[in-house]
Order: sequence, then structure tokens, then C-alpha cells
Amino acid sequence: MTRRVNASQLIALLLIAAMTVLVAAVPLLPSYDPYTQNLAGSLVPIGGSAMDGKFYPLGSDTLGRDILSRLALAGQVSILIGLGAVIVSLVIGVALGLIAGYFRGLVETIIMGLADLQLSIPRVLLLIAVTAIVGPSVTNLALLLGLTSWVAYGRVARGMALSLREREFVLAARTQGATASWNIRKHLLPNVLPQMLIVGSYEFGQIIVMEASLSYLGLGVQPPLPSWGMMVSEGQTYLALAPSLSMLPSFALFTLVAGLQFLSQSFTSEGEVVSAPQQGKA
Amino acid sequence: MAGASPKAERDDLILSVRGLSIDVDQGGGSTRLVDNVSFDVHRNEVVGIVGESGSGKSLTMLAVLGLLSPPLRIAAGSIVLKGREITTLNFEEMRAIRGKSMSIVFQDPMTSLNPVLRIGTQIGEAVRLHNPHMSKADIEARVIELLAMVGIPRPETQHRRFPNEFSGGMRQRVMIAIAMANEPDLLIADEPTTALDVTIQAQVMQVLAEVRQRTGAAMVLITHDLGLVAERADRVGVMYSGQIVELAETEPLFARPSHPYTAGLISSLPRIDHRVPQLYSIPGFVPDPAKIPPGCAFHPRCAVSAGRSACRTISPSLQELSATHLAACHFAEDSSAWRERQITTAEAVSEKPSIQAAIATETILKVDALSKEFKIGGSLLRRGERLRALHDVSFELKRGRTLGLVGESGCGKSTLARVLLRLLEASGGRVFLNGEPFSELSGSKLRKRRKDLQVVFQDPYSSLDPRMTVHDVIAEPLRINKQYDPRRVDDLLAHVGLSPEVGSRRSPEFSGGQRQRIAIARALALKPDVLILDEAVSALDVSIQAQIINLLESLQKEFGLTYVFISHDLSVVRHIADEVAVMYLGRFIEYGPTEQIFNSPAHPYTQALLSAIPHMRRESQRIILSGDLPNPMAPPSGCAFRTRCFRAQSECAAAEPPLLARTGDQHMSACYFPGASEVAASAAQTESRAPQSP
Repeated sequence: MTRRVNASQLIALLLIAAMTVLVAAVPLLPSYDPYTQNLAGSLVPIGGSAMDGKFYPLGSDTLGRDILSRLALAGQVSILIGLGAVIVSLVIGVALGLIAGYFRGLVETIIMGLADLQLSIPRVLLLIAVTAIVGPSVTNLALLLGLTSWVAYGRVARGMALSLREREFVLAARTQGATASWNIRKHLLPNVLPQMLIVGSYEFGQIIVMEASLSYLGLGVQPPLPSWGMMVSEGQTYLALAPSLSMLPSFALFTLVAGLQFLSQSFTSEGEVVSAPQQGKA
Repeated sequence: MAGASPKAERDDLILSVRGLSIDVDQGGGSTRLVDNVSFDVHRNEVVGIVGESGSGKSLTMLAVLGLLSPPLRIAAGSIVLKGREITTLNFEEMRAIRGKSMSIVFQDPMTSLNPVLRIGTQIGEAVRLHNPHMSKADIEARVIELLAMVGIPRPETQHRRFPNEFSGGMRQRVMIAIAMANEPDLLIADEPTTALDVTIQAQVMQVLAEVRQRTGAAMVLITHDLGLVAERADRVGVMYSGQIVELAETEPLFARPSHPYTAGLISSLPRIDHRVPQLYSIPGFVPDPAKIPPGCAFHPRCAVSAGRSACRTISPSLQELSATHLAACHFAEDSSAWRERQITTAEAVSEKPSIQAAIATETILKVDALSKEFKIGGSLLRRGERLRALHDVSFELKRGRTLGLVGESGCGKSTLARVLLRLLEASGGRVFLNGEPFSELSGSKLRKRRKDLQVVFQDPYSSLDPRMTVHDVIAEPLRINKQYDPRRVDDLLAHVGLSPEVGSRRSPEFSGGQRQRIAIARALALKPDVLILDEAVSALDVSIQAQIINLLESLQKEFGLTYVFISHDLSVVRHIADEVAVMYLGRFIEYGPTEQIFNSPAHPYTQALLSAIPHMRRESQRIILSGDLPNPMAPPSGCAFRTRCFRAQSECAAAEPPLLARTGDQHMSACYFPGASEVAASAAQTESRAPQSP
């Protein structure tokens, strides 16, 4: 079977490849240096050189740090947080969703009630409160963002579990003496996983934006470690003087998130993950 | 091809299809799905097109309707409707014809009506499309007239209802009203009653016959059900692998089939009137359209060809055996002779060889006053309604025997299966398996005992996990019970007629019949005592169904299995069951040895069921029940069947008749007036045309 790449996949791959090159290849350059300050090279424009002759391909910030290097490092930080948060939320969401959908009854009421409760609290406010207590580190951010975004997975997983538990291969396994844990692991999980990865690639983009907003508010990663959101925030002061300071990280953020959205879109349009349950005769 | 129009002298030709071929374009090439199909349809005539899934029967009629869309296309041939070539018409011109000169009734009345529009609006739409200047009042009058014509009671008020307020049979009547709105010359009915129960099917076919009689429309009846065409069609075309292999008037076709495929299909059908010792089953399965065998497409499965070289090299064309009988076979005479031999062997022994006699002493499954209620709706404060799904079901089943459970949808037969399997908890009553109270076990004790009672479900597509290989599917019960041994899996595959190599493939690669074999192998893995077969052969094509029935019978002999065989198909139940229970609204209303139930049914419902089955031999008398199954949330008082019963008296409403041995030692029935149906049948015939409210 020949697989043809559709337009949405092509765009996604191009955008993500561009960001991967930025994040992975730039640190290999000899000029890579995201931290060293150079007062002689403050606010160098794109493609310019400092008074001491140092070349800045994408310019420098107020402290004379290389923007290209900082963009790459910030990208690593953002992706790390995004990936970590997605894994945490996917594991929690799928587990709770499948348990709720398979067992039904009180368990389901409690878990889905928890989900509703979670959604009713504004996420940014919650994050601001909690990061203020535990302190903002990369690990803490990944964990917190993950813990607050399991509901999307949980709801989808529960919905699929509701129909899967009535499918005849699950019923047959029950008549053969399968335990609930067997059915959830062997039948439900493999059948919901592809759908979960679609949700994951969508959520990945959302998390990165969320992290950027937190960093913009100063609650993200702490300086001198950069993140895209923090770079936007730092550049804001000089918006009139050097717009590229805010524009470049915004553009990087946009490119990666757009790539991820297109990717998840292309999975979705590829269609069937689990075919609709057959209508059984009464 | 003059031969394709045996009645060419008649000038009332409605539809004439000549040399129609349909291709599908894919991956740069094209595959032929329908090949050189020719047939005629005359005024007032019913032409049946039968074939198994993938034979091209529905595609042919979609082409006639001009509804093929890329990648499907008409590759060759002509379609002439009332003297007008329609393959060359554009979309607008076709639209003027569709619904006006010809219309269609689809299979599934649940999806072919728009759920958010009132049925009157939907019928009115069909009227208005072809009569744009008609006034609102006139349209409404016409809608009411149409609803009355298809036998919907109180059409003046009913036309304002929504589709979900109607039962399946009533919706199909609405579909027929839409199709007949402009009195078309040609009605195409694509499996019109396949989704309906047999008593409702009889009603709907009756309505179709009546509306056609009124307008003189011709009908093409597409179906997989040989009994239905035998009963309803004037002429029949049999399709196989995209070709018409036999085309003849109905009676000679069934009496002297001249194509081995037709002969094989007829021989593989279980009979309702007597039991044959073993069904003939056509070996193999329908070929992939991309890999049609050279020569005659049917030769690898043919019982007559015997590998003769003509069959392997030359594709036979439709030839005239007589003015009205055409067949595409090099050895057409041999086919009829083969069929004759099948009939002789079938009638030689008619009693089921009693393998159970030796071991049928030990009771293996005992069910005592089992009941199940579902609570519907309700909340913390308000008590919901109760649906009585099972009520006071008791039976005993001895080792090696088969209990057939029959009834229409909603009668509770699948609920009974699920309660027996402990997939649902009973509301009352007990189940003993091997003398142990199975219904009272729980936790790990229950899980250990479950292996004695296994199940094969109806839908071969939903019963196998699409992400597992076949080996893993069959190994699963062994792994659950920590008895995994790869040789045992291969052994099980061999028992159901599959080679061990298929183990490495995934279930979506297999056809329905093969999947059902895999499901049976999985059910046998734990060496169960009792196997519940919940409509296990209902979703399969006729020739495959015979293969699986034969497999089940040989497995039963080999392992001494006990079957609970659930089916809505009474012919299959008669073939396989030793004893039969007929269910209606959650109760056994008749229960006894198979021969007694089929030869002298006592309960009027059983009599009606048996009478409603479309039959190869046309019945002169037929009981057509009026109305639908009553609402199970509010069943009628007394006997639940009395609202549809042709024998009901006032005392039937007073108390529910208990299930008692009324007409024989072992023959139990729940009716105050059990027994022969002769008089009642003719009475029902006359008053059958007044369906009650839905």
C-alpha cells in the first residue's frame, strides 16, 4: 500500500523540521553561547556585528547575548516542558478515563466529577498560585502543567471505553475469566492509544503556549535560563527600538505550535482509529 | 443479445439493461466489479436479483439509478428506461427521472429517514420535488393518501410524527410511501426487509405487493434471501462475481437450477418443512474482484465442474436453455442432475442421527425461574420505569443436546444469553452449571468456573480485537487462565478448518466466515461444556452459513458439546436444535422437542412465525400478524401476545397463561387455546389488513 503525504502533513513536517533544526543544530555551532553577556554588543540588529567585532546572526539582546543561541536553548526548554507535561497528563488522563469508562457507577461519577471540578478552576490562576508555592523549575512546570491538563485525555478515553467495554471481544474475554485489569490493559488501552496520541499532539501545542504565558508573567523558568515566553516578555520593553527581540521568539513559538496543530489535524483526517461499534441485535 | 429478453414480444418493457459493466478505478488501474449484465423488466413484473455480498447486485441497481460516483463508473453497456437511454443523461436530467419514473427503497429504515423532520414533511418533499406548483393543502392531502395506502393507521394525525416515534416496520412503510409518491414505473427495493423481523417482513412485503398492484409498477427486488425471491419474484437473476449466472422464471429456477452456483445455494439452505441430515456447503468463498479465477469465475468452488478444462479456460456466456431460462455454464444439464441427487440424499435420512442418545442423561445446564428487570430512567427522588426483559424462564439441558431459542428482536433472547453468561446479573432465579449454582458464584471462583460456559457472538467484525493477530486472539483465553501453549492454538485452528499459518495475520484481513471460525476456535480453547451461539450464523452469506453450521455440528459430535443456539432464523434452528423454546416479550411461550414445535405448533405466535417465513414452496395460506411488538415497558395485561393474536378471547386479558404441557408430554405452551391453526389461519388472512397503532 502506497501512503501519500497530504498537504496538511507536508506543512506540519516542514514547520516541525524547521524548529527541530533550530533547537538541535544551533547548539552544535561554534558560535553557540546563550549566556555570555557582552556590554559592547547590546541590541545589535539582525545580521549585525558588535563593536568588538562579534557577529550576531539574529542580533543580540540588551545584555549582548546571542539571540540565535538563546532561541535554540529556549526552544529546548519549551519542548522539554511540553513533552513532560504531555506524558504526565496522558498517563493520568488515560488511566482515569479508562477506569471510569470500564467500571461505570460510583467510580465514574467521582472521576468525572473531579474532571468537571478541575475545568471549573481557571487554569492560569491555579498555576500562578501553585508555582508561587513550589517555585518555578522546569520539572515543576512540566508536572504542574501535566497535572492540570489530563481532563482532555480523560474525557476522550472514557468515551471510547464506554463503547469498547460493550464490544464483543471484551465480553468474550470476560466470559473466559479475564479480570478488569486484563481487559483494560489488553483490549481498551491498545484501542484508545492512537486517539490519545492525536489529543497529545494537539495538547503539546497548547502546553507550550501556556508555558510561554506563564514565563511572560514571570512565573515560568527563571533567568538566566530562557524560554520563548520569557524572551517575548524581555523584549517588550524595547518593542519600538528593537521589535525583533519579541518578534523572533513569537515567530518560533508560532511555527512549532502551528506545526503540531497541523500534525494532529492530519492524524484526525486520516480517519478511523476505532471503527464505530456495531449495532447489536437486541 | 436477444436471449436476455425472453418476453420480447411484450411491448410493456420498462427497463432494459444491456451489457452493463462497472469498473472501479484505483491505484492507477481499474477493476471490473460488474461484468456484462443484461436483463429486462416488464410492467407489473417483479424481478429478483439474488447474490451474496460482493456479487455486484446493489452496484448494478445503483447504476440504473445513476448514483454511481467516482471511483466507480459505467465502463460499457446501456440502460434504457421506457425507451430512453439514461447512461448518457446529465445530473439534472437524471434528477427529473429519479423519484418520478423510478425510485428506491433502501435496506435500513432507521437511517434512511431524516430524524429531525416530520414524516409528513419528508413524504411531502418527494411529492413537491416533481410537482413544484402543487398547493400546500394538496400536498398534505396526497401525503395522507399515501400513508393510508401503505397501511399506517390514522394518517391524518400520524403524518405529524417524527421517525423515532415509529417502529422499524412502520418506518419502512413510510419509505415505501416516499418511493411511491409519484407513482413510478419502476421500484427498486434493495434488501427492503433484511433489517426487519420475520412477522414484520411479511407485513411490509404485503404492502409492497399491494401498492404495486394499484399502480402497476415493476419492481426489482435485490436480496440475499432465496426464500423471499422464491415467494415474491416472477423472474430471478442470480449474480456471482459481478455476472448474472442464471436468469429464469422463478419456479423452474428453483425446481431445476441449471447453474451449479444456484443449485449449490439452494442445497445449502436449511429447510423449514423438514430436516436434512447434512447441509451441502459450497466450499471456499467469493473471490476478490481483483483476483477472479480465469475461465468460469465459479469453477474453483463448483461441484459439477470436477476440474474439466473448459471450466478452467473458457468463461461461459449466458445461454438459452429454453425461451425463458438462461444459464452461464458449460455443463448446465449436469447442474440439474446434481441438484436431483442432492434432493435424493437429503430425503434418504431425515431424522437427526442421535449421537446424544448415549450421553444425554446428565443435565448440564439447569435454569430455574430466571428473571431480569432493567430500570429505565429514574433518579434519586423519582423511581424509574421497569422493563421486564426476562420473566420466569426455566429449562433443563442435557449434555450433547442443542436448545434453539427463537423469537423476534426485543423478545429477550440475547438478554437471556447475557444473563446465563453472567455478563448481566439476574434479578431473580438461579442457573446451575454441572450441578453447581453458577449464578451465585462471585470473584475468582466465578472467573475459574466461567470456562465451562463460552459464547460465540453474532457480529464477526466486532467479536475480534482488530489490533491482535489471530494467534493472540485464540491464545487469549489460554493466557488468561495461564494454560498458554502455542501447539494448542494451532490445534484449535485446525479444528475449525484453518491452517496454522493464518495465526500471524490480523483479523481485519479475514472474511466474515473465517472470522466466525476464529471466534469459534477461541470459544473452544477452554474446553467448555456449554457453548452459547448468539445469532452466530445470522450475519453470514448463505453458502458460508452452511459451512459454519456443518462445522458446529461436527464439533458437537467430536467434543460432546452442548449448545444454546439463539437465532431469529427458524429454518436454521429446525436444522440444528433438538429442542426449541419460542420467546415473546421475555417469556417462553412454547417449549418442546423440535419436531413437535415445527410440525404441530401449539401457540398462535409460533404458528404465525412459521407461517411468515418466506418459502420456496409458495404457501396458499398465510398468517400475517397485525401490528408491532407491544411496548415492553407497558405490556398488555394477561397474555402479552393477545393484542396481535387472531385467537384472543376476553379471558386472555385477565391472566397470563402459564407455560404448561398442554398438547403433549414434553410439549409446553403458554396459551389458553393451544393447538391446530387451520381455521384460525384463514380467519387471520381476511382480517390481516388492519394494522393497529404503532
